[in-house]
Amino acid sequence: MNRFHGYLAQRFVASVLTLLGVSLIVFLMVRLLPGDPARVIAGLLATEEDVARIRTDLGLDRPLYAQYGIFLARLARGNLGVSARTSQPVIAELRPRLAATLRLALTSAVLAAALGILAGTLAATRPYSTFDYALSLTTLLGVSMPVYWLGLMLIIVFAVHLNWLPAAGSEGLASIVLPALTLAAFSVALIARMTRSSMLEVLRQDFVRTARAKGLGERLVVARHALKNAFIPIITVVGLQFGALLGGAVLTESVFGWPGMGLLLVESIFSRDYAMVQGIVLVFSALFVLVNLVVDLCYAVIDPRIHYG
Amino acid sequence: MLDSRSSRARAWRLSRVALAVLVAVALAGPASAATFRVAIGIDPDTLDPVQNTTTTVANVLDYMVETLTFLDPKGEVRPMLAESWTMSADGTQYTLKLRKGVTFHDGTPFDAKAVKWNLDRLKDPNVRVPVRAPFPLKEIEVVDPATVKITLTRPSAPFVMALTSTTAAIVSPAAADQYGNEYKNMQHPIGTGPYVFKERKKGESVTVGLYDKYWGKKPVYDTVVFRVVPEAATRESLILAGQVDLMVLPPIADLPALGRNPAVKVLLAPSNRTIFISLNTTKPPLGDVRVRQALNYAVDKQAIIQNVLFGAADPMDAPMAPSLFGYCKAGTYEFNPAQAKQLLLEAGVKPGTKIPFIHPTGRYVQDKEASQAVAGYLREIGIEPELATMDWPSYISIVNAGPAEKTTHHLAYLGWAPNFLDASMQTLQFWSGYHPPAGLATSFYKDARVDELVVAADRESNPEKRKAMYCDLSKKVWSDAPWLFLYVQRFPIVYSAKVTDVASIPNEKFYAVYARPAQ
Repeated sequence: MNRFHGYLAQRFVASVLTLLGVSLIVFLMVRLLPGDPARVIAGLLATEEDVARIRTDLGLDRPLYAQYGIFLARLARGNLGVSARTSQPVIAELRPRLAATLRLALTSAVLAAALGILAGTLAATRPYSTFDYALSLTTLLGVSMPVYWLGLMLIIVFAVHLNWLPAAGSEGLASIVLPALTLAAFSVALIARMTRSSMLEVLRQDFVRTARAKGLGERLVVARHALKNAFIPIITVVGLQFGALLGGAVLTESVFGWPGMGLLLVESIFSRDYAMVQGIVLVFSALFVLVNLVVDLCYAVIDPRIHYG
Repeated sequence: MLDSRSSRARAWRLSRVALAVLVAVALAGPASAATFRVAIGIDPDTLDPVQNTTTTVANVLDYMVETLTFLDPKGEVRPMLAESWTMSADGTQYTLKLRKGVTFHDGTPFDAKAVKWNLDRLKDPNVRVPVRAPFPLKEIEVVDPATVKITLTRPSAPFVMALTSTTAAIVSPAAADQYGNEYKNMQHPIGTGPYVFKERKKGESVTVGLYDKYWGKKPVYDTVVFRVVPEAATRESLILAGQVDLMVLPPIADLPALGRNPAVKVLLAPSNRTIFISLNTTKPPLGDVRVRQALNYAVDKQAIIQNVLFGAADPMDAPMAPSLFGYCKAGTYEFNPAQAKQLLLEAGVKPGTKIPFIHPTGRYVQDKEASQAVAGYLREIGIEPELATMDWPSYISIVNAGPAEKTTHHLAYLGWAPNFLDASMQTLQFWSGYHPPAGLATSFYKDARVDELVVAADRESNPEKRKAMYCDLSKKVWSDAPWLFLYVQRFPIVYSAKVTDVASIPNEKFYAVYARPAQ
């Protein structure tokens, strides 16, 4: 086993421990919230007797440690339990939701990375130009606009007034445009700013001057030499932003009625659907851990000087 | 330079092509004219009639499943799968004559056996039935294929009314272990209704299609799609963009603007939901009837309805909505701060007395805003309300706490909508047998005469006598004021001016099965 494999194994163990920690924290947090899931499910009109029966059905009458034990034992077998709200297995409920969230988050991530890197690079090659200032202003707006407000504004313009795009839902290609733009706005701004500063630093370095001196075209200098060297901080931000996108999906999905995990999480918290909340948070955490790992591994691909161990 | 300009031109052309493609895709998006699209606010937690607890879910289910009796838009009980019924003299036995020639969507016949199977399931303790109380079922007997005899555990006059509830809808017994269904949990409803379940996309939509062997009048639209859009402003955008034909619960502050918009119609449907502030009579000074009356006089309900609810409510004049059987006008508490102050003085309540006041946020139309307005009025008469809010599950764990000595709430903003239009379930709110934790009579009001009437009226088989009993009860409760009576909420429905024949049922349901394009 070489050092790389050792590194991977180490990261894997750390990831599992992280997720275990997350599972315990979430397990306790949802139960610390006031409110009885059985009563929420049954509604105001139900009698106490019916509520008690639901409580027993859900296993909520058992001690906490027993509930956590059952949760872990099931988890080990890949079973996240049954949703209290819908009586369906959490895994079955999550699968299509995860797909929808990933579709949205990945589209936004690609959009954010492409637009952000492009804009940042253009600004860095024309520092203190009108374009640069315009970009600074736009990114400032992008960072400060609340997702919720931006989403509604886009809906009013593109769905209500222009009637170009659907206001909500996930059917058809067109429906992803507005939620993906909304979700990407914050990240585009951040990635553009990071790209600009990272590029500015690299463009001042000697090897860039050498490249130019040996007669390479400006485009080649920027794309092949500068950008590649400026990429480490950029990829870090892109990776971190993917986590932010998953978080941002909660709001974006609510505004656009996008049938993802974010929307489900909100519903599940408000109905105290313990199993579902645990499942969603675990999946979100696992994704985040995974993306971080991928980013770390990307460093070596971009910069051969980086070794793991 | 030239090179860069041509590449910019190319990029511009490309972006225009991309935009054109997007527009084309978007335009292709909306479904054909034969589809009726509805935007609802919540994703159904279940499609199993017996498990449903929300009117939105019931509203969707009503397209596919039918009940033995039916509540019409006027709020009256009509025959549906049962053509007629008789009640025994003691009110414990009902004999139902069933409609003949009706088939379920799976082709199996609807008959007495199917009814027995469904009602047996409704009373089966192994099946999760959150609202079982209105159905005191003891035994269901098949007399012949078109007749069932139902015996109850206690006399219940409103039982036929209770059968209008979607909870008691009839599904195909043969489908209980097919289409992914289980006896304990049915998610593919096979009923006898005008529409057949087609597809469910969780978190997104439920689609139903016309049932060509439907026994009754056929609807116009081939397909109905219920789209799940939790955000009210987005639902409003959908209807304004013409991307849905009907929506429920728009942002309430937009009601005036929607009313002026010729592209849509607004239906402020009467409902059965009373909105009130429960006064915990076990907490001083709320034990004193003069204090409770003072609170009722202190608040200008009409002003709150106009300025906070934008007209989407009517002031209460009885402890129940006018749409319920048993309603009679019980009185009014005219806005009169001087009288309120006088009553407080008589009761010895000092100015500046602090009273905790909790309210939910976002559960009922404008609940937070209305609570703040009420608090303002109470300050005017020298009461210092201590406002607090929390999310719904936390909220009900507080108002549902019991017995009385364990409660912490004093004033609590609440809504109550009985799931069938009869005073029996509403008046439980004033019955001492329903004090928390047994029930949700959150004001812990106790009056011997009222207690007696609640039980007697539920059993009384003579409708006129029943009405008189509920009227007596209402007047007593009204003057004892265990609630700060606010208003009966209206249920706002917005639909496209391009469709017509949209109605509502006075229990927060839209009735658009027979909607059709406007000429």
